[in-house]
Parts: sequence; C-alpha cells; structure tokens
Amino acid sequence: MLQPVSVALKFAFLAVLYLFLLWVAWSALRDLRRAREDLALPSQSPPPGDATGMYAAADGLLDGHDAGFEPRLLVERASGYQSGAAYDLSRGATLGRGDVEIKLDDPFASSRHARISPQGHVFVIEDLGSTNGTYLNDEPLNGPQPLHPGDRIRIGDSEFSYLQ
Amino acid sequence: MSARNRELVGLIPASLLVTAGFAGVFIQRSGALSNVSLTYGAIFLGLCLAGHVFIRVTLPHADPYMFPLVALLSSFGIVMIYRINATLARQQAQWLVLGLVLFAATIIFFRDYRKLERYRYTIVAVSLALLMLPRVPGVGYSANGAYLGIHVPGLFVFQPAEFAKIGLVIFLASYLRDTRQVLVMGARRVLGLTLPPLKHLGPVLVIWGIAMLILVVLHDIGSSLMFYGGLLAVLYVATNRVSFVVIGLLAFAAGAWYLGTHIVHVHARVETWLHPFDPRLYHAPLGSYQLANSIFAQAAGGLFGQGFGQAQLTLPGGGSLLPAAQTDMIYAVITNELGLFGATAVLVASLLFIARGFKTALLARDSFSTLLASGLSATLALQVFVIVGGVTRVIPLTGVTLPFVSYGGSSIVANFVLLALLLLISDRARRPAR
Repeated sequence: MLQPVSVALKFAFLAVLYLFLLWVAWSALRDLRRAREDLALPSQSPPPGDATGMYAAADGLLDGHDAGFEPRLLVERASGYQSGAAYDLSRGATLGRGDVEIKLDDPFASSRHARISPQGHVFVIEDLGSTNGTYLNDEPLNGPQPLHPGDRIRIGDSEFSYLQ
Repeated sequence: MSARNRELVGLIPASLLVTAGFAGVFIQRSGALSNVSLTYGAIFLGLCLAGHVFIRVTLPHADPYMFPLVALLSSFGIVMIYRINATLARQQAQWLVLGLVLFAATIIFFRDYRKLERYRYTIVAVSLALLMLPRVPGVGYSANGAYLGIHVPGLFVFQPAEFAKIGLVIFLASYLRDTRQVLVMGARRVLGLTLPPLKHLGPVLVIWGIAMLILVVLHDIGSSLMFYGGLLAVLYVATNRVSFVVIGLLAFAAGAWYLGTHIVHVHARVETWLHPFDPRLYHAPLGSYQLANSIFAQAAGGLFGQGFGQAQLTLPGGGSLLPAAQTDMIYAVITNELGLFGATAVLVASLLFIARGFKTALLARDSFSTLLASGLSATLALQVFVIVGGVTRVIPLTGVTLPFVSYGGSSIVANFVLLALLLLISDRARRPAR
C-alpha cells in the first residue's frame, strides 16, 4: 500500500534536488553575465595600491625596454626632500640611513634598509634585514617582490612611489 | 535578496531532502511512515541554521552558495549511510557536529588567514609527518594493502591524508606567492618547451618526490594523484605556464608506470581495473569482487534507480555483496537507489561547489588568496574525480572518500575546515571596498 508513496517520495526527492541545483547554476550564470558587462566597460588597469594583486607572472617581461621605460622613484613625503622629486632607478638603488644612493633622514630607517634592483625587465624590491621593515602598499614586505607602476613604498615615516 | 538570505533559502532544499530521504528509508524498512523522519529533518535543519547564523555574524560577505551545497551533499550522505547502517549514521551525525565546531573554530582563529603564511614551514612539516604516520608500526595499519589510516587506541581511526592535503596546499600557495615570478623570469626555452630554472624548480621537484613517496610508502595511486594534481594546479595558476604542467604530468606518469609494474599491491589494483570480470580475479582475495559488483549495482540502478532502501548490499547467507558500501562505494549505492539522475545530481552539486571555489579565486584580490582558493578547489575536484572515477572504472579504484558524502570522521572534519578557509577567502574578496 505504501509502495506508491515510496515512489512518489523518490521522485519528489529528485525534483527538489534538481530545482535546487538549477537555482545555483542559474545564479552562477547570472554572475558570469554580470562579469561580462563589467568587461565591456572601458578597461581599467588593476587598481594601484595592491602590490600583492594577482598580476600575470610574466608581467613586464615581454615588452622589454620600450621607449617610455623610465623607472623612477617619486618622493611622496620624506624629511629633507621635496615631495615630487624623482630618482632615476635604471641601475637600481639602495635606500637607508647610511652611505647609500638614496639617503633617508628617518629615525626608523636602518643604515642599509632596502634595495631596488633590476632583474630582467622588472624591478624588484627587497628588504635588507632592516629593524623596522619595509612596507609595500601598506603590507610588510617579506622576500623580494616585483614593483608595478603606482606601488607605494614606505620606510618608517618616509613614503615613495614607483613609476616607470 | 542579500547574500545571506540567499544562503538561508538554499538550506531549505537540503533539509527537505533529509526528510524525504529518511521517510523513504523508513517506509522501506518498517512498511510504515513514521514522523521520526521529520525529527531527523528538523535536527538537520537546526544544525544548518546554526552554521548559517554563525556565517551571518562572522562572514557577512561570503559566497552564499557554498554552505547550502555542502549541506546538500551532507544530507545525501547521511540518508545513504542511514540506509546502509543506522549506527554509522548516528556516528556520522556526531562527526558532522564536530565538523561544524571545527569549521567555527577555523573561522574564529584564522580570521586573518594570511597569517598562515608565516607558519608555512611548520605546516608543511606537520603535513608530511601526518602522511607518513600510517607506516609507523603500532599506530598505522593497512586496509586492502594501502596504508591510509592510523588507530588512536580505543577511540577511532584517523585518516591523516585528509588533513595533509589542506596543509600542503597552504604551503605551496604561500611558497609560490613569493617565487612564482622568479620561476617564470629565469625560464629558458629548450626544444620548444619552457624549462624553469633549476634552482627555483627545486621545491617543485620536492613535491614530485613527495607524491612518489606517497605512492611507495602508502601504496596508493589515488591519493598521490589527488595531491600531485592539486599541487600542479596551484603551480599552473601561479605561473601560467602549460609547459610546467606537461613536464609535471610526464614525470608523474613515469613514476606511476614504474611503481604500477614493480609494487605488487599497486600492480594488483591495475590488473583488477583492466580485467574486473575475469573469474580468476573476481574470486581472488583482494581481487575485483568489489569493483565488479559496484558496476553491476550501478547498471541495475537505471535512469531513476530502484528507490530508497532497495539496494541489495548483503548476501542471504551473510557476508557483504558490496564491501565498503558506506565509504568508497557510496557512489555506487546512490546510483543503484536513485539512478543516473540521483548520481548526476551528486556530481553536479560537487561541480557547482568547485565552480564557486574557483570563482572565489578569481575574485580574490591578493595572490596568496587566489592560489589558496584555487588549490583547495582543485584538490577537492580531484578527490571527487579519483573516487568516482575509481568506482565507475575510469581509473584504478583507490580508497579516498567522496567529500561530504562518504562515511568517515576525518574526511568530514577536514572538508569542513576546507570549507571554512574558502568562505574566509570569499568573505575577504567580496567585501565592498571601504
């Protein structure tokens, strides 16, 4: 007598299951469509200020030294410097309080604090074991990290930004 | 509708499924509808609601579909396990509760999950130690020739590989976050293949070694395929180089071929996979009995299945017709009772969950999160592939669990931790900018 109930239950089970899965799949599809609309907007480069963003690993490798390739370090604020002053980085530079290319008058800087050096066609910033650390876009730097235009570098109270 | 309300709505079908499933099993078992099934449904709904409220408070922006999809898979699992063995279902329910507790603990303690990066070498050391534990005499034990579990005396059996998979993905995501650019930059082209620099390839070779070691030490192709595939996926996402994946797969194939022909247990698994219906193998101990019967069971299911509680799992004279029905073979039982449609639904639910995982990886704003989310999703995807592929005779059968569905404490608990990590990443990624 309960046989039809049992069969009905089974099909009800399957129906609920598929309705739910359809609902999830439909929402996922809507997400995709929305993403495509976003792409149709004028394309924007990844917002500056997120150095840890997922840049393509080969970023800046293939285009090489274009005519406009001029790596510079721009002073945002640092005691003893005018903000807006720029350093040529094309041969790399060391930042610190001691006898280095870019001297920092900052009590929180170590004598040799951080180094920016060319590696292939990208520039890599590296902390040289400083006491107070180097911040790349407000995140503490651990290990060498490639620089992207617009990245902000902070050492103590001094702040720079990277341009190319 | 806000994300959290969508999640709440999504939990209703899962609870309906539990109610309908238990009702179906009861009718079959005692010939009567009892309102106990409503109680089970209500308890399950209560658990889901507790999880939902917790997410609502702690992770308001997290992906709304992941939790309902997991609830759906778990409800599937608990109905099927109840149908196989009521005692096991009660244990599974307890494991679900423990899983939810650890889920909450993970979210509270690793709210800023990026601090995991600081402990990466500790994490990888612990994971590898866990992987090796089943071979330690007195603690580990072997099932069907594969070393996958350890006994905690008097308490329970523990499968360390389930936790090790999460640890290894965390390590690789944080390692590659630092080195991925160097891997690509130093690459040279040799014979049309891009080869990474040897110095930085080292860790990747170590990973290959680990996968091979798992094969040799644990005698298990399936879990090493799962680990290795997940790690290759992270490597590919990190470097965007197909050649690394090709090299990796070739290396794995070479290792697997050598071990498949030289280690007796692995070789036997390959033989039963190739010839499951050979009478000699069918009757041999550890032969193809399980695999062949699983295929028969799936064929008997047809399009819509035989109905709840209809599958024949034991022989009239005692003994098991489908060994390990509640763990490895649960997919075959689902196919038998709910047919192709039911089994496809399980696969689609897993697929959608994994798609949400990759979606999270795409949305994540920093590379550690992207690598972690894609690695966790890829590992889970491969785990589903390894066990379903094994049961359906696409690849040699090995004993990993069907995530969230199979019976097994370690599996449920570890996968809830994995879900917690994915939701944490998703919450951070979808949080609107200040």
